[in-house]
Amino acid sequence: MCRQLALAVGQPRRVRLSARDEFEALLVPALDAAWGTALRLTGNAGDAEDLLQDASLLAWRGFGSFEPGSNFRAWFFRILTNRFFSTWRKQKRSGTTLELEEAPELYLYTRAEELGLQQTPDPAGALLSKIDVETIEAALAALPDEFREVATLAFMQDLSYQEIADQMAIPVGTVRSRLHRARRLLQRALWSVAEGRGLLRGPVADSTGEP
Amino acid sequence: MPLPDRLTCEETFERLDDYLDRELDAAERRRVDEHLAVCDVCTAEYRFEATVLDALRDRLRRVRVPEAVRGRLLTRLREASP
Repeated sequence: MCRQLALAVGQPRRVRLSARDEFEALLVPALDAAWGTALRLTGNAGDAEDLLQDASLLAWRGFGSFEPGSNFRAWFFRILTNRFFSTWRKQKRSGTTLELEEAPELYLYTRAEELGLQQTPDPAGALLSKIDVETIEAALAALPDEFREVATLAFMQDLSYQEIADQMAIPVGTVRSRLHRARRLLQRALWSVAEGRGLLRGPVADSTGEP
Repeated sequence: MPLPDRLTCEETFERLDDYLDRELDAAERRRVDEHLAVCDVCTAEYRFEATVLDALRDRLRRVRVPEAVRGRLLTRLREASP
């Protein structure tokens, strides 16, 4: 019912939005997280913007198939990741910057132990207080594509192994092993980037801020 | 000597990643919980890994789409035919 008709029949408070306004009202709150996902999947801001635009236009054209009241964000993220894996990734595969040498388990835990942090109340918090978000982003970006992609979907969208497998069209067992390995590689990359940037020099504070 | 239905440290460690990802079924999850309740070493490892994961997730999610990117996107959308 259009607004004028609603007014005429005595239901003046319900203003019907146009489909475009409705789409924008749902899209805008999802943009920060979608941008974060696009940035980490593509590895750079220019490609992330193109991917986000592509996905948004596709979503707008397919908005008729969106079921009102269902989870728009999940629907839109599926379009974004499908677009990335079906088209984008094939065209713009980036090079890898990290050697595929196996990273040991509990890498940071062991490093924290060597720094004597295991005696503090929050060893992980103490170590992470030295590592800024730029370092985390650089470490994630340094992972080989297949590991960065599963880690991105798991970190940014809270998806289950099965949901990641569906989005990437790979077996669920592959998702599981890649994700576990991605975390180990990421810990090692984090340490190496943080060390390279000189972030680990000097005393490491414990979680209470005491050096 | 652990009880037959109790997990050893090694068995617990093998399940740690799936436990962190909340991918264990209820029975397996309970067995890990039971081991963590009595083992300080595994609990310290689990807490460390969980804290690192939460911190990474939290920091990576604190990203904002740049104003210029958002502006260009909305302009393109408004120009696009329905």
